[in-house]
Amino acid sequence: MTEAPEFILVEDSDEDADTVQQAALRCNSLVRLRRVLTGDACMALLQQPQAELPALVLMDLNTPGMDGRETLRRIKSDPILGTIPVVVVSTSANPRDVGYCYRAGANAYHLKPVRYTEHLEAMVAVLGYWLDRVVPHPGRGVKP
Amino acid sequence: MSPSVPLPLPAWHGQAYSTKRFGVSINDCDSEPVQTPGCVQAHGALLVLRMADLTIAQVSENSADVLGTAPAALLGRPLHELVGAAHAARLQALVEESVQASVQESVQESVKPPARQSEIERSPSYAFTHMAVHTGLALDASVHTVDGVVVLEFEATGHQATEERNFYALIRRSVARLQRATTLSALGDIACAEIRALTGLDRVMVYRFHDDGHGEVVCENRRDDLPSWLGLHYPAQDIPEPAREVFRQTWIRPLRDVDGGLAELVPLTHPDSGRPLTMTHCALRAPSVMYTEYLRNMGVAATLTLSIRRDDKLWGLIAGHHYSAPFEMPYDLRAACELLAQIVSLQHAAAEEREHAAYRQRIDSVQQQLVTQAAHEGGLAALLDGPPTLLDGLDTGGTALYHRERWWCAGRTPSERELDALRGWLAARPEMLLRDRPLFATDRLSAHYPPGQAFADVASGVLAIALSHDAKNLVLWFRPETTQTVRWGGNPHDKPSVVGPHGSRLTPRASFELFVESVRGRSKPWLAVELEAALRFRMLMMELIMARAEQLAGLNADLARSNDELDAFAYVASHDLKEPLRGIHKYAHQLAENAALLSDADHQRLAGLTRLTLRMDSLLDSLLHFSRVGRVALQLEDCDVGEVVEEALEMVAARRGEKPTHIDVPRPLPTVRADRVRLREVYTNLLSNALKYNQQATTTIELGWLAPHESAARTAHTPHAGWPAAASGQTVLYVRDNGIGIEPRHIDQVFKMFRRLHGRDEFGGGTGAGLTIVKKLVERHGGAVWIESTPGGGSCFYFSMPADDGLEGPP
Repeated sequence: MTEAPEFILVEDSDEDADTVQQAALRCNSLVRLRRVLTGDACMALLQQPQAELPALVLMDLNTPGMDGRETLRRIKSDPILGTIPVVVVSTSANPRDVGYCYRAGANAYHLKPVRYTEHLEAMVAVLGYWLDRVVPHPGRGVKP
Repeated sequence: MSPSVPLPLPAWHGQAYSTKRFGVSINDCDSEPVQTPGCVQAHGALLVLRMADLTIAQVSENSADVLGTAPAALLGRPLHELVGAAHAARLQALVEESVQASVQESVQESVKPPARQSEIERSPSYAFTHMAVHTGLALDASVHTVDGVVVLEFEATGHQATEERNFYALIRRSVARLQRATTLSALGDIACAEIRALTGLDRVMVYRFHDDGHGEVVCENRRDDLPSWLGLHYPAQDIPEPAREVFRQTWIRPLRDVDGGLAELVPLTHPDSGRPLTMTHCALRAPSVMYTEYLRNMGVAATLTLSIRRDDKLWGLIAGHHYSAPFEMPYDLRAACELLAQIVSLQHAAAEEREHAAYRQRIDSVQQQLVTQAAHEGGLAALLDGPPTLLDGLDTGGTALYHRERWWCAGRTPSERELDALRGWLAARPEMLLRDRPLFATDRLSAHYPPGQAFADVASGVLAIALSHDAKNLVLWFRPETTQTVRWGGNPHDKPSVVGPHGSRLTPRASFELFVESVRGRSKPWLAVELEAALRFRMLMMELIMARAEQLAGLNADLARSNDELDAFAYVASHDLKEPLRGIHKYAHQLAENAALLSDADHQRLAGLTRLTLRMDSLLDSLLHFSRVGRVALQLEDCDVGEVVEEALEMVAARRGEKPTHIDVPRPLPTVRADRVRLREVYTNLLSNALKYNQQATTTIELGWLAPHESAARTAHTPHAGWPAAASGQTVLYVRDNGIGIEPRHIDQVFKMFRRLHGRDEFGGGTGAGLTIVKKLVERHGGAVWIESTPGGGSCFYFSMPADDGLEGPP
């Protein structure tokens, strides 16, 4: 039996982090959710030499310090980390943000609705999709 | 004269002409043989000698009076019998020298041009002084050769009458003054003054020929009691072509006494050749009958006329008039005047050059100032507000500048309507499309552009330069019709004492009328220096416009940047406000779910809290949307309004619900030029309002429109307070409902941001941004929005769309 996949959640809002946590509980598959508050913390985690790469990064755009856009750009432009799927979850519907993220290599861009039930459903759907429907990336050891 | 009508034969047809015999029969200036009049002025005598042996071939009939010997006793005799051997020998020497020179001339012509000019060929020179024994008068004899004969003219020296004058000293002083002249008018003034001082004539004028041949008195020096003729104009006919031809060939033309009488040559034609004598260069040549009659009609007793030539062209004349008495002009005085005329001609180009340089400098300085002013004040209005203004540079009556879709005028100009038409015509002129020299100038606009007749008084002369490559933007300068500027103080010499046999035509008044006719629709011509100045002004303007364009581009960039910043701000603000909102909503939700122990009232409160967070959410969305509506560039295309309405109806379908709704489109909707997405948004907002605010059993919505001409007629015939003037001539679209209507006092309120007329949960709620966005969208298209409504009777929302371009461009 394989270990549950690890998702990193970059989110400074406790409320939103909690919603994602709730969504994870409602999924059919197990997931290890690891939350960091900032982009810097996310990068630090990913850059530990021996660490296994996460199966997914869920990224809020407006995080303190290095923001989600920059973190996304760094991950996607990194030769090793670039294979990790990054899904952006944001309140901003600004076409400029959406465009930036897709151009930087985001694998999806989701809005956080204000209405809680909608927000929760959206997160269940996103997590479920990445847990159940998607072929995981091969990880660190595989040469492209 | 029509070519089909044969020229009438002159009265002397078949015979030699003599002014004395046939002069009165003359009726056309141009037909008068002024160079072969066959007569001399009677105060002197003329001999025609054979070149070979100096025998007398012809003699003026007054030889007995002047020389003491009758023609019969002279004809065929050698000259020395009359003047003595010494004078005859001197003359012989002059003639031989001349013959040699002309032989040399013909030999050397191909080898070493120019050859030495024969000294007396067509150029009278002093030969000797002859004493007339019978009168005791000293006679100056001057000689010249023409057509192979020797012409010898005798006139009293006048030395007894006036004291000896040192012409050399006088002329040297005059020359020095002439050389200092910095303008043409100064040169002319000096010439008039010097010649009058030298001769003692009553009036000396400079008479200038304009390009169209008409003449103008441009300088004058006169006896104090005489009226001024300065600025008077005369038609070309007053100095006909044959007379001008004489002045091209000679420097001087004296007429001692208008009433002095004429003496005919005996015989009238040369006995050897049968030809009349060419008298072009004779000082004694009999004047034209037309000329003497004109002079008599003006009361002139004697005249002296000198040529002013520029590069072999006759630029004008120096004309001297004497009123009081016949005027003695002995040879040496004439020679001095002739020399002055030559010097004036030589100095003429230099003086004009200096005058133009000064004029150019003045124009340039004004134009430089203007452009600096305009650059400083950042607008073209500065060119016309002054001082100085665009009028102060070039010598013009009015000026108009077309730039940025409007006229800027100063001075006297045609009306804007006339200017628009003229501008359209000019834009098609090939001259205006030249890359380096887009300039059109005329002193006779109506000859090229017939509608110009309507404003010939202010703009017979037009000078135009293009300020853009398509000649759409331009600067025009106008000159009034010449007759508008001519100073005319009535008959310049009061009433003519006698009107001669040719009637009143040969009077200044008739001349003036003829002149007015000849210059109708003409202005003063444009000088080369003015055209060049206009082109330099164009360069300055182009630089200015270019600099302004750069400045505007800079401003646009700034504006775009601040728009971007505002855009970013709106997103960040809505984003940052939504994040806590989401948290509040979540806690309210969770509380409501988990708190079984709460009272009903508390449940109500939690539900209220949840609802408020959602309302706040939609307000933030509306605000964000509205802030973007004003800035996002419109994507204009031809939109089929019918299709757009179909789409909008689909989008509001949910709102229609179960309630019966009737959508009525009385006639197919038009096509308008608009941003399709925005137009659909206008319709979804209006339709959703129409559906929302309705309490009838069946909702009826009519979607209609008025074509531009219909809207124009409607605004014109039934002026209605609610119909904006701007909508006249635009396509007007409307959405009419049978809903609740709006009270008149509230009509202005509905377009205000977040302004609601009803409780926030009545009629399905809403943020109150819909109509504000509609208004903004329509206005961005260049249209207007207005409402007709009766409370309880339904509302009609109108909005207009411009019929053609005239839309707002990208921000």
